[in-house]
Amino acid sequence: MSRERILGAAVERIASDGIDAVRIARIAMDAGVSTALVHYHFATREALLAEALAYSFELAGDTRTVATGEAPAAQRLRDMIEQCLPLPGVQERDWVLWVELWLRAVRHPELRPTAAHLYSRMHDWLREAIEAGIDTGEFSPCDAGRVADRVLALIDGFGVRALLDDPAVPLERAREEVWDALARDLGLAPALARE
Amino acid sequence: MSPRPSTAHVRRPAILSAAAEVISERGVQNTRISDVAERAGTSAPGVLYWFPSKDELLAEALQFSDDRFYFSLTGELAALDSATERLTRLVELWPAEGDGEAVLWIELWVRALRDPRLAEIRERLDRRWRTTLADVVREGQASGEFADADADDVALLLGAVMDGFAIQLALGDPAVTADAVQRHCLGLAEARLLR
Repeated sequence: MSRERILGAAVERIASDGIDAVRIARIAMDAGVSTALVHYHFATREALLAEALAYSFELAGDTRTVATGEAPAAQRLRDMIEQCLPLPGVQERDWVLWVELWLRAVRHPELRPTAAHLYSRMHDWLREAIEAGIDTGEFSPCDAGRVADRVLALIDGFGVRALLDDPAVPLERAREEVWDALARDLGLAPALARE
Repeated sequence: MSPRPSTAHVRRPAILSAAAEVISERGVQNTRISDVAERAGTSAPGVLYWFPSKDELLAEALQFSDDRFYFSLTGELAALDSATERLTRLVELWPAEGDGEAVLWIELWVRALRDPRLAEIRERLDRRWRTTLADVVREGQASGEFADADADDVALLLGAVMDGFAIQLALGDPAVTADAVQRHCLGLAEARLLR
């Protein structure tokens, strides 16, 4: 389907070139279609970015629904955090799109619902996993929504630093810090013994 | 044309101040040198003399904005009596009161992804902020207000969570209020520093 091919090509191009530098003609060439067709499907660059990001997330959607019941809730959450970090490859590429989306959504209000929707999905996904752990008694009772809010902020704050190769935040550090903060909120022994 | 060293000296801060304003309003992509020149009350060649590229202008404008921020911050913090009050004030300033600023930082992040020079600048400015936070933590530990904890680690944690929330606030996510963000950040600080 040409629309999917265009989106696939757009995801790669936006991630490698940045949305400002992206050339519709290049995406068209990569996708093996005409520029006219790209313009037909996507009225603006912003629309293309929004849809490319949503497309990328949909593709990753299958891996994001981690199997329930098998692993302890703590392990599930660790796996979920892992999927949210800029690991080399597809996740790192999606992170680049994510950061570009932040900028575009701040400047173009029509993109904000897309950003809000993605955050809302992530938030629900994390909150439900936290609630599941509280239900089984694995986690101490807490306001799951509030904890999820903070985890998301930590994922973004540490994630962007890891993505930018901040010397203080290699990927391992981002992973440890996010998990440590979450573990404390859930009444689990912190992963890092600092005190 | 004869050189005019005195007016050139006066123009640089005016240009940077204007650049910070215009970039904040329109974004780097949509900022033209002539926009900045007009805002600063000079000519396009007058801007280009100091800043040969827009990326250079962004980097310098951020540095300038940052210097201005720390200049007034120093006075503000000195007027507060306790480390607790100073830390609270820092958490209040960013991200909640940093509304217009957040977009400049996101611009820097996006560009730092592809420009090592801007990545270096981002890193330096971030370190400065984290040092400011860490210094206040140490003051509080010296005065007995705060418990023992690695001040640099706490500063990194607070820096990350504040950035994460700054993004959500900048996106205008209705689920996230400045008030809730402050409570989240202060809550995290308290959990690490009060026993």
